[in-house]
Amino acid sequence: MKKLRTGMALAATATFALTLAACSGGDSNEGASGDAGGDEPMGNSLTVWAWDPAFNIYALQEAEKVYQAEHPDFTLDIQEVTWEDLQTKLTTLAQSQEFEELPDIFLMQNNAFQKNVINYPDLFTDITDSSVAFDEFPEGVTAYSTIDGANYGVPFDAGTAINAMRTDILEEAGLTLDDFTDITWDEYIALGEQVLEATGKPMLSGIAGEPDTILMMLQSAGQSLFDDEGNPTITDNEALSTSIELYSEMVEKGIYLEVNSWDEYIASIVNGNVASTINGVWISGSIQTAEDQAGMWGVTNLPSVDVDGATHFSANGGSSWAVSSNADVALAEDFLSATFAGSTELYDTILPGAGAVANWLPAGDSEVYAEPQEFFGGQAIYADVLSFAAGVPSNNTGAYYYEARDAVGAAITQIMGGADAATALGEAQSTVEFAMN
Amino acid sequence: MTPVVVPDRAPKKKSKGPKIKPSPAARRRSLTGWAFLLPAAILIGIMMFWPMFQALILSFKTGRGSALDFADPLWFNYTRMLEDEIFKMTVGTTLLYLAIQVPLMLVTALILANILNNPRLKFKGFWRTAIFLPAAISLVSYSLVFRTIFATDGLVNDWLLALNLIDGPVNWLGNTDTARMVIILGLLWRWTGYNMIFYLAGLQNIDPTTLEAAKMDGAGPIRTFFSVTVPQLKPMILLTVIMSTNGTLQLFDESFNLTRGGPANTTMTMSHYLYEVSFVNNPNFGYGAALSYVILVMVAILAAIQMKVGDKRD
Repeated sequence: MKKLRTGMALAATATFALTLAACSGGDSNEGASGDAGGDEPMGNSLTVWAWDPAFNIYALQEAEKVYQAEHPDFTLDIQEVTWEDLQTKLTTLAQSQEFEELPDIFLMQNNAFQKNVINYPDLFTDITDSSVAFDEFPEGVTAYSTIDGANYGVPFDAGTAINAMRTDILEEAGLTLDDFTDITWDEYIALGEQVLEATGKPMLSGIAGEPDTILMMLQSAGQSLFDDEGNPTITDNEALSTSIELYSEMVEKGIYLEVNSWDEYIASIVNGNVASTINGVWISGSIQTAEDQAGMWGVTNLPSVDVDGATHFSANGGSSWAVSSNADVALAEDFLSATFAGSTELYDTILPGAGAVANWLPAGDSEVYAEPQEFFGGQAIYADVLSFAAGVPSNNTGAYYYEARDAVGAAITQIMGGADAATALGEAQSTVEFAMN
Repeated sequence: MTPVVVPDRAPKKKSKGPKIKPSPAARRRSLTGWAFLLPAAILIGIMMFWPMFQALILSFKTGRGSALDFADPLWFNYTRMLEDEIFKMTVGTTLLYLAIQVPLMLVTALILANILNNPRLKFKGFWRTAIFLPAAISLVSYSLVFRTIFATDGLVNDWLLALNLIDGPVNWLGNTDTARMVIILGLLWRWTGYNMIFYLAGLQNIDPTTLEAAKMDGAGPIRTFFSVTVPQLKPMILLTVIMSTNGTLQLFDESFNLTRGGPANTTMTMSHYLYEVSFVNNPNFGYGAALSYVILVMVAILAAIQMKVGDKRD
C-alpha cells in the first residue's frame, strides 16, 4: 500500500515537473532563435517575410543573386507569409514584446505603413541615416513610410494605376485605345455603353463592397479620405461623392460588373468577361496569365473625375521594405541599398519577369523600360507607366486608412442597396471618428 | 485517551457542522487525490484563469498598440460600447443567428436521432456516419466550400438556373438577408449531426420498457415521442442548448471565412468584430478585451436562464 502511494505521488510530481520543464523548454528555444536572429554586427544571412511567390518573393530571390555577386557567402532566408498573417504576426509580436521572433526585413503594404509605425514603433528601425538614398525615390512614394520626418521603409513596387483594355473588344465596338485616352468619366460611361451594346460585355469589374475603384478615382482628383491634419473627410468631400455617383451609374447601366471575391475578379478579366480593368500596375502580372489573350491588351491613362485638381493618374497598393528592430541592421541596410535602392540590374530582371515597376528613379532610365511588350500589342507599357507615375497625386493615408476604407466600403454597399448617399457617408464619417477617439 | 479528546472537540464546534475527524489513512488518501488534481489545477489556473484575469485588467486600459494605460474613468471601454453602432449591429446579428439557428438545429437533430434510433432501420451505421461527418470537417474548410458553392457563378446558382427556378444568378453573399441565410444554412449543416450524436447517446439510456408501456397504453409514435422520449432526454437537451448557445454567441469562423462580415458588416458576429478591433484595425486591445467580457457575461446570463428554466432534476 505504502509503495503504491509513493509511486502515485512520484508519478504526480513527475507529471507536474514535466509540464514545467515543457514551459521553460519553450522559453530557452525562443532565446536561442533570438540570438541567431542577429546580435552580431555584420553576419551574412538575412531573414525576410514577403507574400507573393510570383512577385515580391521572386524579386527577393533575384536581389539575393545580385547581392551574392559582391558577397558570395551571403544567403537570404525568404519566408512566405501572406499579408494578413504578416500583419497579425506583427501585432502579436509587438503586443507580447517578443521582438526576437521578428525577421530582419519584412514587406509592408504602403497603406498600412503609417498605422504600424505609429502603433508599434518598437517593431521598426529608423533607417533615415543609412546608405539608402531616399531622394532617388518619388516623394509621394517615400511619404508612405516616412513618419515625422524619419524614413522607415525602402519603397519596392509602385502601385501606379493603369487602365488596361482589351483592344480587340474595343474594336468590335468600333473604338480604339485613343478614344479612351485623356477623357473624363462621363465620356468613359458613354463609350462604355457603346461597348456594352456592341459586345454585351461590361467595361470593368470589381469586388462589391470594396472601394478600390472609387478610391483610385478620389486619389486621381488629388483628394484623400483624410485631410493634412489626419481628420477624416468622408462627408463634404465633393470628389468622393462625385466618384460614388459615377460608380453607381456604371453599376446601374451594367458597365461595371460587381463580383464577390478576388478570384472572381481575376476570372472576369482572364476569361474575357470584361473589356478592361483599372488597377495598380501589378495587375499586369495577373492579366498576363491569360496567354491566349497575348497581343490583345493595351494600356492607357485613367479617365478624370470632373472636379478641380483632377488628373488622369492614380495609384492602388504598392509596398515597401521595412527593417525590423531585431535586424542585423548594418547588413540589412547594405543589402537594401545595394539592391532595391541601387541596382539597375535587379530592376531590369524583375520588370519583365514579374511586372514589378520600380520606384527607384534611376532604374527608369534603363532600356528595358522602353522595350515593347508583345503581350500588350507591342506597346512599351512600362515606359508609359513611369510617365503616369510622375503625375500621381499624393494620398494622405494616416493611421486610420483601413478603418476609413472599410467604412466607405460599407457606405457604398448601403448606397447601392438604395440608401441615401449623404446619410450613409455621414455614418461612415462617424464610424471613423468613433474608431479614432 | 479522554483528556486528549476534549481539547480536540472544542475547535470542531467553533468550525460548525458535525464533522467526523478523518482517519490518518483517509487523510493520506485525500492528499494523494489532491496531489493528482494539482498539476491539472495549476495548469488550468495558469493557462485559463490567469489570462482571464489579465484580460479583465486589460479591459480597463486604453491606448495605442502596446502603449496602454488605465482608462479614466476605468469603465471607459464599457461605456464606449454603448455608442458603437457596429458593435450593436453585431450583437443583433449574433442574436438573430441564435434565435433562428439553435432551435431549428436542435429540433432537426432530435428528429434525426429518433429516426436513426429505430431498430428496424437498415444501414444504420451508414446514415449515422453520413449525418455526423460534417462535424469532423474543419470550420475554415467548410466555410470556404460554402463560399464557393454560393458564389455568383457557383454550384447553387448553376443548379437553380438549370432547373429554371431563377432568371439570373442570385448574389447570395452580396445581400444581407441571403448572406445571413447562407451562414445559418452552413451552421445547420455543420452542427446538426454533432448534436444528433448527443441525442442518440441519450436515447440509448432510455429504458425500452417505458416506450413499450406507452405503446401498451395506446399512445401513438408522436405522443410517445413528446410524452415519454423528450422528458427523459431533458438533461441532454439542456446540455446541447447551452453548448449551442455558447457556441453561437462566440461564432467566428463562418462570419470570418464565409462572408468576411459583409455586405456592409451586416453578417459580422460579435467575436469577428472583436478580432477586427484587435488585429485588423488600429489595434485597440483594451476595447477588444472589454468586448470579450461582455460576450462572457451574455453567455453566462443565457446559460443561467436556461439552467433555471430547463433543469428540473432537483
